[in-house]
Amino acid sequence: MANFNTHFIVAASASAVLSGTLLSMEVVSPEQGVVAFLLGTLGGLLPDVDSARSTSIKVAFNVLSLLLTIMMIFVKSSTYSILEMLVLATIIFVGIRYGFLEIFRKISKHRGMFHSVPVAFIWGVGIAILMQYFFALNSLVSWVYGLMVTFGYLVHLTLDEIYSVDLGNRRVKKSLGTALKFYNFKTSTDIVHTSIIYCLLVGLFMIAPDTELVINALFSQDAWLNFKDVLLPYDGKWFLH
Amino acid sequence: MTKRLKIMVMMAIMVAIVLLSGCVAVPQSQAQRDIGTLIKRPTAVVLDREYGNKPIHYVTAIKSYFSVKLPRAKDARYKFSDPKRAYKRKGFAYGGDVDWKGWLVETSISIPNRSGRLLTPKPYMVLFSGNQIVEHILGNSHKLLVKVDR
Repeated sequence: MANFNTHFIVAASASAVLSGTLLSMEVVSPEQGVVAFLLGTLGGLLPDVDSARSTSIKVAFNVLSLLLTIMMIFVKSSTYSILEMLVLATIIFVGIRYGFLEIFRKISKHRGMFHSVPVAFIWGVGIAILMQYFFALNSLVSWVYGLMVTFGYLVHLTLDEIYSVDLGNRRVKKSLGTALKFYNFKTSTDIVHTSIIYCLLVGLFMIAPDTELVINALFSQDAWLNFKDVLLPYDGKWFLH
Repeated sequence: MTKRLKIMVMMAIMVAIVLLSGCVAVPQSQAQRDIGTLIKRPTAVVLDREYGNKPIHYVTAIKSYFSVKLPRAKDARYKFSDPKRAYKRKGFAYGGDVDWKGWLVETSISIPNRSGRLLTPKPYMVLFSGNQIVEHILGNSHKLLVKVDR
């Protein structure tokens, strides 16, 4: 299994390449490209959140608690006094960073269904919904941000699978197949978890933003032609445009 | 009955006929019915007041607006719908209240990429308050936006 630093560097590098490509294809603006890169990197750290003592869980819960605290301040700054906001901000931050974290540590199991492809998509669709409903972003940008998280997540799972093959000793570790999986039917609890995850995914898709724009921008014939147009210098002059 | 009394009775009957004829229902013309319907539905007037004036020169305004927002906008190709009434809420992170009510023009814009190939047209919703453009939203729909007119 790759460690935190390896996951961080690989996820950041892969996200930089992808967000740079999206920027070049004019799917996102430069500012949106930076956010896409950050979300892709964060997505690369998310799968290890189910490991109770990992660095990922601390980073994820720090980011989550800070984000929700800041969001509350934005929403309530026009109505609440400074002292009211201070009290509420403390409750939200401590509640998530310490209270919710401890509960999450107790119920999560490392390399359970949290390390799976459908969960990567749940994160992506969830982020897309959050971006449209909470931050009023358009469908294309919402989906790009969501898909960047999914992409980072899948990079992490792939890296875990690669690390489960010991090329030096030419053997495979016991962890092979536990990361990049679509389902887990080993025990009755696993079957319930898998069922809940797929039901949740379907439910989220039903309220997700419109997909037409992102399909046209990234997964259409026109998107492919657009990618080919920007892959090489269009006028044949390398570095001398 | 004297001649004078007869004349007075005749005049009274004629006045009564004239007065009573005003109470008889006369069939309404189509135009009269339409006016009546409008008066009975005050919402039509309220909505206009609520959503402001319908933009008139929206084509010029939109072209001018996007000329500084899109790359290679001078080669862009536009298509416009008629303005329709709509309203939009703020994102829930900002309270979720209705922050815009006005007229929306659906626009489709095709611009060339940097190699000169014309890309598939992108849909935009341009939001107006009167003749002023407030903002634009990429796409045909948004979860926080409601189109009142279909």
